[in-house]
Amino acid sequence: MKLEKGSISERALIFSVFCFMQGTMLRSAFIVAVTKNDSWAMAFTGLLGSLLLTAIYAALLRRFQEKNLFEINELVFGPVLGKVFSVLYLFFFLSLAALNTHDIGDFVVGYMMQETPLAAIILLFVLICVYAVRKGISNIVRLSTVLCLIAMAAVVINTVLMLNSMQPGFLKPFFQLPFGKYVQGTVTVAALPMGEVLTFTMITPMLGKNKKAGKMMAYGLILAAVFLGIVLLRDILVLGPMAGVLRLPSYESVRYVNLAGILTRMESLYGVVLISLYVFKVSILLYACVLGLAQLLNFKSYQPLTLICGAFVFFYSLVVYKSVMEHADWGATVAAIFSLTFELLLPSASLVAVSIKKAIRLRET
Amino acid sequence: MKKNALKAPASKSKKEFRGVPKPVRRAAAALLCTLMILSLCSCWSRRELNTLAIVLATAVDEGKESGELKVTAQIVSPGEIKSGPSSSGSKASQKAYANIDNTDESVISALGGFTHITNRSMYFSHNRVLIFSREVAQKDILEGLDAFTRNFETRMNVYLLISKDKAADILNEEIELEQMPANHIAEMVEAQRSNSETAIVTLLDFDIASLSGSTAPVAPMIEMYEVNGKKKSRLEGTAVFKQGKMIGELNVPQTRGLMWATGKAKKATITIDTKDGKIDLLIIHAKGSMKPDKAEDGTFRMKLKVYAEGNIESNETGKDMSSVENAEMLKKQAEDYIRADIESALKHAKTLSADVFGFGEAIHRDYPKDWEKIKESWDSKFRGLMTEMEIDVKIASSGGLGKPVVQGGAE
Repeated sequence: MKLEKGSISERALIFSVFCFMQGTMLRSAFIVAVTKNDSWAMAFTGLLGSLLLTAIYAALLRRFQEKNLFEINELVFGPVLGKVFSVLYLFFFLSLAALNTHDIGDFVVGYMMQETPLAAIILLFVLICVYAVRKGISNIVRLSTVLCLIAMAAVVINTVLMLNSMQPGFLKPFFQLPFGKYVQGTVTVAALPMGEVLTFTMITPMLGKNKKAGKMMAYGLILAAVFLGIVLLRDILVLGPMAGVLRLPSYESVRYVNLAGILTRMESLYGVVLISLYVFKVSILLYACVLGLAQLLNFKSYQPLTLICGAFVFFYSLVVYKSVMEHADWGATVAAIFSLTFELLLPSASLVAVSIKKAIRLRET
Repeated sequence: MKKNALKAPASKSKKEFRGVPKPVRRAAAALLCTLMILSLCSCWSRRELNTLAIVLATAVDEGKESGELKVTAQIVSPGEIKSGPSSSGSKASQKAYANIDNTDESVISALGGFTHITNRSMYFSHNRVLIFSREVAQKDILEGLDAFTRNFETRMNVYLLISKDKAADILNEEIELEQMPANHIAEMVEAQRSNSETAIVTLLDFDIASLSGSTAPVAPMIEMYEVNGKKKSRLEGTAVFKQGKMIGELNVPQTRGLMWATGKAKKATITIDTKDGKIDLLIIHAKGSMKPDKAEDGTFRMKLKVYAEGNIESNETGKDMSSVENAEMLKKQAEDYIRADIESALKHAKTLSADVFGFGEAIHRDYPKDWEKIKESWDSKFRGLMTEMEIDVKIASSGGLGKPVVQGGAE
């Protein structure tokens, strides 16, 4: 029985992966704070790491055509252990949705409407995501093409406008930090924004039979990495050592745009793009939660669960952090390990289990 | 076909509500609409234009008692702005700005105190100029800088200035061509690009220099002078900082030298004294670069390269300066002029032991391994640093004239 009847194209999947990544990437402080002026390189080392993760997901998706992550779990581990795995993934998706919702709330409250309670902004934000999921995720995925073009155009325009305030000297000296920092930077980029591509394993069955889901995810990641590299380079070239100190380097560098005193204050463009990308990201995450929950509970349709999951994300995101400082501390220390547990450990376990099963079956015959 | 795909989920959700009675459905829709209207205009943190005091310039002085700071803000008085100063025939009209000040323990508490004396709340997004008085700068400038960088509303492209006297007086200067002293000062700073005799420093530049550790941040200085009984401001010299404190000044030639050496000079006028009289050169293109050079024994030398290209702008001598020999002589003199400026700046920076040029940063960038070793003793290393200058001036044309108009023009 299939819960989702929509379909998506391969191209839409590439752009969706890009949009999904780009939101987090525009908040690049978590990378720049670690690897300073060499952060642009992390976009590419991180990409390599995340491509390894994608290879695992692709291998799983290839063995189980037209099945999503939760269905694969049950097929691999049986109904009981499979459900345990699914619950763990469900927790991961919910956490990601809550964390990202909190992020966007922080951005709006911190930079624009300081007196507004976080809850008011998060509530509206979650309601939009719930609406999007109810109306069918295939529509949102199809929309990603437009969103992707807007996000790319915003990055390119802002970068071109800032060419005259860039100082190439800020890139030097190259790679002088302790080696551990680069490992940390690579793991952070691979695990935090890029490894979250795991969420798309809930959507790939909509591609249909014999479609190369893994390949499309990899293309999306490469595209995202290129733009992450551009954004990081721009921030470092404009802000120099300040990039490692600011909370939102991209926002601050965009504020610095000044074209003959006429074209200034471009941060509104950044704000619009950031919020739209987050709507997209949280919608996808929410969909993964809702679909997964419906499968776990053997519902005939996932739609009655959207509002409930939305409410859960709302409350979860309110309590997920006490302060921005706590968030930064979590991001720098635990977050990568937390994410990798779900992005690397559990899928590898599935893959190993599948291989063993296959080996046993071969021996029996 | 696409249309169908778009419609399909919508009809599905309609089906879901079929069990709900129509009035309930309508009430729910109405409630949702009201909720949206109430929330989408984001009235919670609304800030209407008529409740804002738009700050264009901020000045920080010392208060009467020690440890206190006096913060002055220049606020636009929108009703008084006219289309242009020329149209305001009657000079008796009101000023287009108001300066308000408050004294408290810190910058932020003084700003907070503004609520006691004005009905409007301060809006710093359009702040263009930030002036610290010399007294404050000599004690500690970091507190104010952190506050202005950290705040979400302020921008880092605000121009930073150090006033020689009271900073608040600068905001009261009597100006003629502009309506607001803040705009006058900000545009005056921008105009310094054409003379390269003043460092143009934004908050971002200053922050970056402070973060580097070895570079001594600089900021231009502004002072008051009196002309025809009117008090006006002018930019002169550069303040030099170290560890957040102002430790000295560069005078105008030294500032010029700093601009040449750091490659920030783009346009300039050079006056050359020949034995026959004065000749002005207008430099239109200039560039400068610095490169550290490591000797075999591990010591560093800085190689400064300056290239300038310009025209003869005026000739008071009556001699034909368009001849190749004379042009060569002018070129030599202009190079000496630039060299003298740079040397003077270098000498003074060494007596202050403040690396205003960013030599340390240049070594850090090109020789990061060696930098780690000399980082700690950079102050003394800088004092003994050898420099090598390579200055090249090109006199491209003699302007609109070949020979001078007076004496011996057309022989």
